[in-house]
Amino acid sequence: MSALAEIQPYIEAFKARAQAGEPDWLWHRREGAMQRFAELGFPTRKQEAWRFTDLRPLQRVAFPPAIAVAQATTDDIALWRFKGETYRIVLVDGAFVPALSAIDDLPTGAWLASTAQTLREWPELLDPAVRETDTVGAQPFAALNAALFTDGFVLALQPGVALDRTIEVIHLGRAANRSSQLRNVILLGPNSRATVIESYAGTGAYWTNAVGVIGVGAGAALRHVKLQDEDTAAIHLGQHRVDLGCNARYESFTLSLGGRLARNETHLKLDGEGAACGLFGATLLRGEQEGTIATVVDHAAPGCTTREYFKSVADDRAHGVFLGTIGVRPQAQKTDANQLSKNLLLSRRAAVDTKPELEILADDVKCSHGATVGDLDETALFYLESRGITVAEARRILIEAFAAEVIERLEDDADLRAHLGRHVARWLAAGDSR
Amino acid sequence: MLEINNLHARINDGREILKGVDLAVKAGEVHAIMGPNGSGKSTLAGVLSGKPGYEVTEGQVLYCGRDLLAMAADERARDGVFLAFQYPVEIPGVNNMYFLRAALNAARKQRGESAMDAGQFLKAVRAKLKLLEIGEDLLQRGVNVGFSGGEKKRNEIFQMAMLEPRLAILDETDSGLDIDALQTVARGINALRGPERAIVMITHYQRLLDHVVPDRVHVLSGGRIVKSGGKELALELEQTGYGAYGDAA
Ligand SMILES: Nc1ncnc2c1ncn2[C@@H]1O[C@H](COP(=O)(O)OP(=O)(O)O)[C@@H](O)[C@H]1O
Ligand SMILES: [Mg+2]
Repeated sequence: MSALAEIQPYIEAFKARAQAGEPDWLWHRREGAMQRFAELGFPTRKQEAWRFTDLRPLQRVAFPPAIAVAQATTDDIALWRFKGETYRIVLVDGAFVPALSAIDDLPTGAWLASTAQTLREWPELLDPAVRETDTVGAQPFAALNAALFTDGFVLALQPGVALDRTIEVIHLGRAANRSSQLRNVILLGPNSRATVIESYAGTGAYWTNAVGVIGVGAGAALRHVKLQDEDTAAIHLGQHRVDLGCNARYESFTLSLGGRLARNETHLKLDGEGAACGLFGATLLRGEQEGTIATVVDHAAPGCTTREYFKSVADDRAHGVFLGTIGVRPQAQKTDANQLSKNLLLSRRAAVDTKPELEILADDVKCSHGATVGDLDETALFYLESRGITVAEARRILIEAFAAEVIERLEDDADLRAHLGRHVARWLAAGDSR
Repeated sequence: MLEINNLHARINDGREILKGVDLAVKAGEVHAIMGPNGSGKSTLAGVLSGKPGYEVTEGQVLYCGRDLLAMAADERARDGVFLAFQYPVEIPGVNNMYFLRAALNAARKQRGESAMDAGQFLKAVRAKLKLLEIGEDLLQRGVNVGFSGGEKKRNEIFQMAMLEPRLAILDETDSGLDIDALQTVARGINALRGPERAIVMITHYQRLLDHVVPDRVHVLSGGRIVKSGGKELALELEQTGYGAYGDAA
């Protein structure tokens, strides 16, 4: 498809939309975003941030927004359910499914609802989440999302509210050659806290384009887990745009398992003194999968901390990418940031690209980064084999251990570690049965 | 049980390290292989256990009548061959207990037995831990991770006690142990002696042999067994050193 032809279906989809009771300010922003997307078009490999990404699966066919709501049952989401009682939002093909969700009896001061419901009942909440930055930044997919999104989830906590249960959000993609444009919002007031687990899964060759806008107020804490477990025929583009206030804490873990083409981005700004973030994750790839982790961390205030640790495993002909940028502005003295990327190649034809980038404009800072690429430790393999463990099992054990080592970073939440560990084990088992 | 005939093996750089080893070990026997550093003791242990990086150029090894060298390393282990490593490997992220259970169940599966349940397993583990004076907390760590030298060696013998091999090859299990640990390890080895089992102890020193008395002692030098004898040979070596048997090369 030509550059114009490939964006045309999305322009048409927007034209076919009605304002449908949305406030004018939002509608204007959507129009601006659509215009911006039309100007930008799809990214190309000439752009540094997209150099390693093969977008052809997204360009060969069009993915207009999904319309029909597919049926889903509790069985369909069982695999991704988090143990114990949770507040739960389930979406299928980009639309909220009340029957599978559980958002009753929230404590006072907590708002958790679908984005569509929030737009109807409390649209102002979306104001900070659909900004001009969507339309002016060189991020066409965020702009497209701003124009087309209809649903997603919104969590807003008043100051001091601490949720007693984990929030889980499960999105299932079902409609082939259709896209789900999800706009998710998490706004934590000062000194509030929450744990959110987003899981993306489905069946078929669909496209999920999710944008999460996250604000963590002064002294608040968010633990944010994302499980990207899309169908291996599907495309997943997801980005989190995070803003941290004074002494805010943000800790994320991205476990990326699925997708033919998957890209998990985090753009995070440490905007208040003493804020801290921990960005962790593991990407497991096989077959023809391509998986990217991209983080852009902006130290805009003094005394902030960043801990980044990402691991990837690539088998067969898979391709892993890690792009990690940390910028330290002149005023961000006493910044303490480190970044580590470790990658395991299981086959000769697998590949990984890592690109760390530090831009430090302050002088009193502590910053470091490192990246390794290697294969399984032969001596460890032999040790396991010498005890009777088969080669296949020994490899499985070592890969599991490799991933477990970064999951360990979620130090104080054994349930969460176990949850992620189960999905890693499931991924490994799926490989054995090929 | 083990019959080594004219075994020649070389390492990756092409150097021949084993230059015609002959050795026969019967069930129920304990043999000691002694020799100077670099004489090829670990190479022999490596070749017998299927460690990659060696090429056998000549000779044959029979284990219970089967061609041992034709078997993969994991297959040998499931069939009852055990190597206690001179340098046990640290494997971060793999829980010791999990590892042990995987190993045990691999052998059971081979024998057509069902996997051990957690209760049975724990009971067996506790008994052997006590024998080797290993703290239970060690099992919750990664395999050999953060273990002292002595703990690593005891862990090897502990694994051997759990796996109950038919043929155990112990490569310098005594080195780096203080006298208490040496006695503990020796107790572990002696507990495993039996009519159905053969043990080959590789050692540089005589002192382990005070505690685990061998039936036969062999001197490996320059890639060959140059002398064999009874337990008194070890004492003799202690007096005279390896000088009489030439250099490792
Ligand atoms: N994997 C290997 N790579 C390189 N050299 C090796 C390797 N294994 C053994 N060697 C060499 O082979 C010789 C015998 O070593 P080894 O079998 O470890 O002796 P021992 O255990 O009797 O001290 C030494 O010269 C050693 O350096
Ligand atoms: Mg040696």
